[in-house]
Amino acid sequence: MAGLNDDAQWIVLMGFLVSFSLFFLAMILNQSVVVGQTTAEAVSEFPKEDIRGVRSVIIESYMKGMPDTASDPSVTNVQNDIRILSLSRQNSIVYFPPKTTIGDYTYIDIHYNNGVTAYNETWRSP
Amino acid sequence: MVNSDGQLYTIEGFAAALIMLISAYLVVNATSIYTPGDTHISDMQLEVMGSDALHMMNTAPNGTTESPLQSIVENDDGIEFGALFNSTVNNRTGPDKDHIQFMANVSYVRLTDQSVNSSPLYLSRPLHGDEHAVHVSEWMIVNKKYPDDIKRNRTVLVEVFLWRD
Repeated sequence: MAGLNDDAQWIVLMGFLVSFSLFFLAMILNQSVVVGQTTAEAVSEFPKEDIRGVRSVIIESYMKGMPDTASDPSVTNVQNDIRILSLSRQNSIVYFPPKTTIGDYTYIDIHYNNGVTAYNETWRSP
Repeated sequence: MVNSDGQLYTIEGFAAALIMLISAYLVVNATSIYTPGDTHISDMQLEVMGSDALHMMNTAPNGTTESPLQSIVENDDGIEFGALFNSTVNNRTGPDKDHIQFMANVSYVRLTDQSVNSSPLYLSRPLHGDEHAVHVSEWMIVNKKYPDDIKRNRTVLVEVFLWRD
């Protein structure tokens, strides 16, 4: 250092050590911020309430006991509404084939897909 | 002229200053990135509160089969919706109230051409476009007569924009 004497070389060494650890800390902080961003994006992108809502209205459409005859096709109308509304208002495709009954139980297949998240469920009546 | 023994001190000083400046710049820059995790927490909280309020309004009181929200939609009772939703989201434990504004629409499918229509239900304050609004929705099966149709069971989607001002 400026060539006067070499007595304080260790001070320079300590300086190096401190600055390197600072750099490392900065790098770790930088990385952690990116991790937080991707996690937050994944959380805000996940359509939790949409899936819950469409799932419960599909189950309700089957289990409410509405008529489904030629003169009163309530179930058909209601389920047609669900498909169209979820495509145009929630950007998601829902597909649910007719319910099946095995023994005492009713089974409903529910498929949901909005291009990012897919959700599939076989619901069984209690 | 005096001698130039101090030249090296000057250069060393320069180098040290540069290193300090660059370090400070890197450190400050690394920690001050705004993330969605910071900015969207209040949005998510508002979203949860709004959809909870809608769920609650769509729950039938004990001993009845129709929820308050269903009868609101069936009777197009926007005033009642405004009063109920307002008291649900804006009331607090203390006497002071929250300042959440909201706009509600009901979306339904027109059976003649399968097109989706939205009719306004309630507007607590006009939207200007600079609000930071979140969107919540609630599915319902109602027995209602829509234009060009008879009274029958239909699925509707109640959609609410809500924001704090």
